[in-house]
Amino acid sequence: MTVTQSTPQARLRQEPEKVHPAALKDAARKVLDNGGRMQMVYAWYPKPSHIELRYVATVPGQVRFAVWSCEPEGPVPSLTEVAPLLSWYEREVTDLFGLAFTEHPQPQRLVLHDGAIVPRPPFAPDYPPGIEIRAPNQQSIPEIAGVNGDVQLLPFGPIRGDVLESAEFLFFYIGEAILHYTPRLFYKHRGMEKRFEGLGAERAVVLAERVSGVGSVAHALAYCQAVEAAADCTVPPRARFLRVLLAEMERLYNHLYYLGHLCHTTTLKVGEAQGKLLAERAKQLNARLTGSRFLRSILTVGGLRRDLSPKGWLEAELESLRESYAVYARHLETTDSHLDRLITTGRLDRKVAFDQGATGPVDRASGLDRDLRRDHPYAAYGELPVAVAVRTDGDAHARAQVRMAEIEDSIALMQRVLLLLPDGPIKTECEIVPGSEGLGWSESPRGTLFYAVHFDGAGRLARVKIKSPSFSNWRAFPFTVHDTNMMDYAINEASFGLTIAGCDR
Amino acid sequence: MSNSLLLLAFSAWIVSAVLAAMRCGLPLARLLLSAGCIAGVIAAIAALPQGTLVIVLPTRLAGDTVDFHMSPDALWLFGFGLTPAVLACALSTPNRDGEAGWLFGAAASLIGALGVFGVRHGAGFLIAWEIMSFGGAMMILSEKLASDAGRPVLFMLGLLETGAVALLLAVLLLAVSGHSFAFAAYDPMLATASPALLAGVGVLLVIGFGAKLGLLPFYEWFPAAYGAGSGASGALMSGVVMNAAFFGLSRGLLEWLPPQPSLSAGLGIFIIIVGVLSAILTALYAFQQEDWRALLSFSSAENASIAVAMLGAALLFRGHGQPPLASLAWVVALLHLAGHALAKGGLFLTADGVYRATKRYAIFHTDLMRRSSLLFGLGALFAAMSLAAMPPQAGFVSEWYVFETVFQGFHLDTLAARLTMALAGAGLALTAAVAFATCVKAFGVGLLGRSSAIEGTVPNSSAVAVGLLGLCVLALAVGMPFWLNSLEIAVSAHFATNAAQAMHDGLLLVPLTAKFAFISPTMLVIVMPLLALFPIAIVLINHRCAARRVPVWYGGLAQNPERVSTTALTFSNALRTFYSFIYRPTQETERETHRVRYYVRRLTFTHDVAPIFGPYLFAPVTRCVYKTAGRLRLLQSGHLNFYLAVIGGLLIIILALTLF
Amino acid sequence: MPQWTLIGLLKGKQTAPWPLAEGDDGQTGVLGMPRYDPERCTSGCKACADVCPTAAITLRSETQSEGRLDVDYGRCIVCQLCTEACPTEAMTTSSDWAFGARHRDDLKWSAVATPGSEPQALSPSGFRRSLHIRHVDAGSCNGCESELQALNNPFYNLHRLGIFFTASPRFADLLLVTGPVTYAMHGPLRTAYEAMAEPRWVMAVGTCAVSGGIAEGGYACGHGLEGVLPVDVYLPGCPPNPAAVMQALLMFLGRAKQRVRGGQLVE
Repeated sequence: MTVTQSTPQARLRQEPEKVHPAALKDAARKVLDNGGRMQMVYAWYPKPSHIELRYVATVPGQVRFAVWSCEPEGPVPSLTEVAPLLSWYEREVTDLFGLAFTEHPQPQRLVLHDGAIVPRPPFAPDYPPGIEIRAPNQQSIPEIAGVNGDVQLLPFGPIRGDVLESAEFLFFYIGEAILHYTPRLFYKHRGMEKRFEGLGAERAVVLAERVSGVGSVAHALAYCQAVEAAADCTVPPRARFLRVLLAEMERLYNHLYYLGHLCHTTTLKVGEAQGKLLAERAKQLNARLTGSRFLRSILTVGGLRRDLSPKGWLEAELESLRESYAVYARHLETTDSHLDRLITTGRLDRKVAFDQGATGPVDRASGLDRDLRRDHPYAAYGELPVAVAVRTDGDAHARAQVRMAEIEDSIALMQRVLLLLPDGPIKTECEIVPGSEGLGWSESPRGTLFYAVHFDGAGRLARVKIKSPSFSNWRAFPFTVHDTNMMDYAINEASFGLTIAGCDR
Repeated sequence: MSNSLLLLAFSAWIVSAVLAAMRCGLPLARLLLSAGCIAGVIAAIAALPQGTLVIVLPTRLAGDTVDFHMSPDALWLFGFGLTPAVLACALSTPNRDGEAGWLFGAAASLIGALGVFGVRHGAGFLIAWEIMSFGGAMMILSEKLASDAGRPVLFMLGLLETGAVALLLAVLLLAVSGHSFAFAAYDPMLATASPALLAGVGVLLVIGFGAKLGLLPFYEWFPAAYGAGSGASGALMSGVVMNAAFFGLSRGLLEWLPPQPSLSAGLGIFIIIVGVLSAILTALYAFQQEDWRALLSFSSAENASIAVAMLGAALLFRGHGQPPLASLAWVVALLHLAGHALAKGGLFLTADGVYRATKRYAIFHTDLMRRSSLLFGLGALFAAMSLAAMPPQAGFVSEWYVFETVFQGFHLDTLAARLTMALAGAGLALTAAVAFATCVKAFGVGLLGRSSAIEGTVPNSSAVAVGLLGLCVLALAVGMPFWLNSLEIAVSAHFATNAAQAMHDGLLLVPLTAKFAFISPTMLVIVMPLLALFPIAIVLINHRCAARRVPVWYGGLAQNPERVSTTALTFSNALRTFYSFIYRPTQETERETHRVRYYVRRLTFTHDVAPIFGPYLFAPVTRCVYKTAGRLRLLQSGHLNFYLAVIGGLLIIILALTLF
Repeated sequence: MPQWTLIGLLKGKQTAPWPLAEGDDGQTGVLGMPRYDPERCTSGCKACADVCPTAAITLRSETQSEGRLDVDYGRCIVCQLCTEACPTEAMTTSSDWAFGARHRDDLKWSAVATPGSEPQALSPSGFRRSLHIRHVDAGSCNGCESELQALNNPFYNLHRLGIFFTASPRFADLLLVTGPVTYAMHGPLRTAYEAMAEPRWVMAVGTCAVSGGIAEGGYACGHGLEGVLPVDVYLPGCPPNPAAVMQALLMFLGRAKQRVRGGQLVE
């Protein structure tokens, strides 16, 4: 995908295009035929009696995203047939808003567990405040028709061995061979999107940082940019460059930890120790730079909360880290036992990756050349050379290689930022226009992240929709597990490198 | 007295057959069948250890008089084979529609078996053999438990008839020189026959009886044929019929053929090899079956193969001048088949019980152990333990003796013999391990597996029958020192030693000498309950200080043990992968999707293992026969002149034969 | 093929000498809980209370003499917003992150701070040098997990202290919970606690587990471990860094002193 606009900050406030429910399928088909991709759909209540659907799509050659607004009169036709990646978004809308989609192939509950006792759809205006939903007494097994008594079932989780996030994985398997695999996520669903409602724009930044702990900067950045788009304010250059620095620091420690964890699953013990040690060094650099190992409490609407002084010491530290990393990467790429476990494991076909909405290093490893930093530049990325690593094999090795290339590119980008870092103010005042809305995005270490914010008449947040990259990638993941074997599963899951908190929100 | 009892049994079976053929008074027919079996068992008990008195039957066959005499080993196998038959005939087939035909077939099998055991005339023996085979086919066909029982029965009959042809050839070869079909006439002339002829007769006997016993390659008819019938048919076919076949083989090899050392040794090695290989293959295939009847049929073939291997060992030891060890091996074979008949009958009736409860013969979670009476569970457990060779059951005794016999191979002189025994030991060990796993699979998955979906229970009649047979198995093991005495005379008649007496020393069972090793199920039965007092005491003491009980840790969720437990397929899956060069397994997953192909609506999973001899032996042979038949069709040219020419040619040949 | 063992050995020891000896604890520059100085707090100002996202700072009634504000560090998410809002530097940034405490009240600011008491021994004492932990994620944002996973990297190397993470609660002595206890994880969390054999203890790691954190309330989220499980150690922080977790664990085992008293760090 090529970039046609490279303005420092494109005017991001835009009016949504009105689409009738009956015309949705054709509009989606048109987007796909033109080479674009549907990104997400969400619902919100502009007025308590009145629900509205919003669709976001990528249009090739355009920095801005196409946003459609649709007013449903009853159940809406499902777009799953045209764009399978929308299936989970539609199920989420059904669960949280109570709006049904017709002809959905999997109309079961997604975000709220099957059997959960929910008084009203949680986002409905008349949801009784302070009431918590209750989990079912017994978790149901999502049976597949035809699987007879020969096939064994393993429901694994939600509490798994080692220090891991909570999620349940259901394997239908015979001995080593996995016939069918279904993850049951959303055990960690906290209802974060609803917590935003009623908050002031600036205070909500700390909430956005804590949606996904290891993606704090990406989330805060997308959120701030959404609000800045709604308020139509311009962030000063120093802040924009420092934002790039923070985003790349986050990418760095995430990818280094990912390599260590991947070595853990291929039981390369020393490789695991070294990878995690490098990630620890990166986190300690974060702490020295910002006072927070996760780069929290720095970003705010309109810029940064306080100035940072990375010049004079960070360049040398990054260079030292890069040298250690280069040796480590060379060792990894020449370790046959490690590569043997990765090559041809968990192959994600390019078409499946596109259809199911895979994003980030996962879809770049399957041959899809997409990166928000280059195609839809934000912060200072428009003024920096962004290298995008793409591989075509689609297996675990390709995903690891993409991330390894991104580590090198990140460090190079950070060195450039430190070189070009301008002086000046680090924050502008953003005035919230009541009733405005904005779309912000960022390329998190795991893929594309969107924040759509809507403000109410008092200038407070009325609705925030978070499209997290893990949500998209978890949908594509099962397609790499069917008909593979149990031994490769842990490696495959580690090679995707997803979080569950980001997906569950 | 025993002869009159046998006559009583015979007449009861005949009357039952007539009633069944006329399709009236079927309950009476059932009763008569059972009563006949009981009479047979009592006759066997009464006549051991001497054997019955020789009587001359009123008919003449092929110009000879026909004697009837049951030797002690015949009585032993006959009695133990009839014990499950009593209960199988009493319960009869679960499909009431086919009962008349089934009773007729059962009567025919029993009558034929009686003839095979006792008739001492070549032609008479063959007639009885055919009646027995016919009875088996009749039983399976009339039961109508499978929609296409025809093909498997045809396959079975085809292979059995191949065996019958081999038997016919063997009997003819033996009878030709002696100018008489009577068995008594065989002996003298054979001493001068060429070794090649004798070896050929031996091989023909192995083929003939092996078709019924399930030696390779003839075991391939077992799963399909047994799988089309019921448990009762299986109990009869694996009990008295299989014992009759083994008896025929044993008599043929030990009595009909002269005891020449080289012949015995050579035949012994051949039979051991065939027996052990059959045992390994059938054990492996038994483990992969998911139908009670197919699994038990392969297991029957495996046990028969072990007995045949022991028979071969007896021949080998005799050929190397070790009569005590030969008699040990021979007695072991008889013990093995006795225990096997009881245990296999018990498990076949268990299968029938499962069918009556769930209407399926498949091995799946039925939870029947918990919901049926104690007697059923106990009987099934004892039977399964016996087949798995677990102490203190009869199967354990005979398996232990089998290995003790094999260990004695160091007494043999030649390298070939020693090597054969050593490899046989290894093969039998593998067989025993797989058989153990097979019994665990059948019992564990089929009876113990929890399920809340199944509602039927095993009817009391089946439960009592299974319980009785299980207790019989235990009685056989516990009373083994007593039972062994009844084989004394048989052993001395064949091998001129008193090995049967040497096999037990007080309450201990020993392989001819107490210095080697010993076991004692008799004492185990007393000691094991005493040992059980320890855990019982611990449990009682623990009740005082109650431990906090929590469910099994399962990742945080409530466990659903029914849904996640091991299935019959997954239990056997590891071995299926490991031995895939034998099984050549196939596995197919079919996914039915919605319009959008990513969403699976239905997943169909099929799997199978491939037989060995079917595609590699029988299919080519069948193709050959078809091709030959196609060529021979030229004879049906339809031209009158051609036919006349053929007739003319034949007349000339006959003229030439009579003239010269 | 690289000789990994040799490479590892040649790299030498990477473990920090802390806490067994004085040295770098790896937290240079890490900001901790804001320090409250009631002397500088002007009356009539509630800028920090207004800006605090989790209501960790509330106004006391004016009649009490012990300062105007109730600062509950068990609710602090270390966002530093109060330090930026305060006009008089009554709230200042600090590197006070060693906030492991046995009692919830120790996390609430109080003027009377008793000096740090001697380390309390754990009973029974067999766990002092060998503790097995079962971690349960009850809905955290993954930040706490990231820091807990860092405990086993070569720099912190938790194993040298005799503390291990196990896979089954049956083998565990301490249940370490992160996250505000979402509705779906409530059942599994209780099952994990029930599955532990006594003696057993519970540690709440992270502000979410101590008091619900920033996601507290709402339709799917609880208020931390209060009322769910009996808690023996509280460690607020968002997320608490690995050194803080180690300090809290050692305090729990009686091998280090509890540093926080009355919401302030004492020696």
